[in-house]
Amino acid sequence: MLCSITSFSQNTSEQEDSKTSNDTLVFKQKYGLRLGIDLSKPVRSFLDDDYTGFEINADYRLTKRLYLAGELGTEENNLVTDYLDVTSKGSYFKAGVDYNMYLNWLDMENMIYGGLRAGVSTFSQTLNNYTIYNPDQYWNEPFSPSDTKEFDGLSAIWAELIIGIKAETLNNLYVGLNLQLKGLVSENAPSDFENLYIPGFNRTYDSGRFGIGFGYNISYLIPIYKKDKKVAKED
Amino acid sequence: MKNKLIPLIIILFIAFNCERDDICAEATATTPHLIIRFYDVNDTDEPKTVRQLTVTGQGVDDEIVSSTTTDSILLPLRFQNEGETISTFFELKKDTDYDTNGNDSNASNTDVIEVSYTPEFIYVSRACGYKSIFAGTEIDVIEADDDDVWIINALTVNTTIEDEKAAHINIYH
Repeated sequence: MLCSITSFSQNTSEQEDSKTSNDTLVFKQKYGLRLGIDLSKPVRSFLDDDYTGFEINADYRLTKRLYLAGELGTEENNLVTDYLDVTSKGSYFKAGVDYNMYLNWLDMENMIYGGLRAGVSTFSQTLNNYTIYNPDQYWNEPFSPSDTKEFDGLSAIWAELIIGIKAETLNNLYVGLNLQLKGLVSENAPSDFENLYIPGFNRTYDSGRFGIGFGYNISYLIPIYKKDKKVAKED
Repeated sequence: MKNKLIPLIIILFIAFNCERDDICAEATATTPHLIIRFYDVNDTDEPKTVRQLTVTGQGVDDEIVSSTTTDSILLPLRFQNEGETISTFFELKKDTDYDTNGNDSNASNTDVIEVSYTPEFIYVSRACGYKSIFAGTEIDVIEADDDDVWIINALTVNTTIEDEKAAHINIYH
């Protein structure tokens, strides 16, 4: 079939030119600034007494597939175990790019994307309450010191890999889901404690420098200009 | 594309849900016990077992060691505020079985030791929180009101109790 097309185009090159213009559909693609929030954070703030968070996010379309993207947020998370009660509080900023891997039909402008971010957070941790871990309770005197410890001026830098989708549900209104895989690059932790929860990075793990997160975004596109997208018409 | 993403998301969630660092593992070194080893007073390098030893914390009914012939014991230390020196008293009774064998010519012998130390709290991990270690450990054998002391000498060989790898106190008898 390929051969036949090749031979056909060779024979009728003049005809082909006119055919191209006739058989190409041109769609206006919207370029602009998309602003939104991560809905999962206010929802979790409402449901979970130990969490308060808010994030605004934005992306700006650079080319057909490439977007400049960033998030700005604040979080307060309370970790309570049998032996620790720690509040982490701070804000974060992430910046990077999203790359749309999805070939849209016709005039649709949905995304299945992969993205990269650099994230930075400044925060504090407060040890509200703790009980010394002592597995042998022969004396039956579990001890909880009455002092609270505050660790201020903490910070962390991480890199993030994102996969997600964004779909236009109403005109210019998008909803999206994304999953974030994070790798801690550097952190400023207290010398006699550790960073248990980093705003934007989420909880840390003993076994490594990796973290995970997800987002459920709702965003609105403010179109700034339009650009043509040419699509060859199929017979 | 969608078909490739879904399994990837599932794999990532499984990988991260398998993390079990929210439970303090038993193997983790947390608040240590005090380790006492018993040596022969005549040959101080030679460990010597104590016959039928029973150990209780003073003021507590439960026994830490019950009628056991051994050359080493692990004792739980009580503690309160960090940085405040505190003492724990233990009653060490040897020949426990002599109490009940109905023979008047022999009897058990109880000695009291006082161990003093200063707790220091150290962060361990998310799951275990803080542990206490003990610095400046000293031992004293209470000889008042006891005319038959079987513990001849006691030495602190490791003043900081931070793990359970070696003895902290040697008792010679």
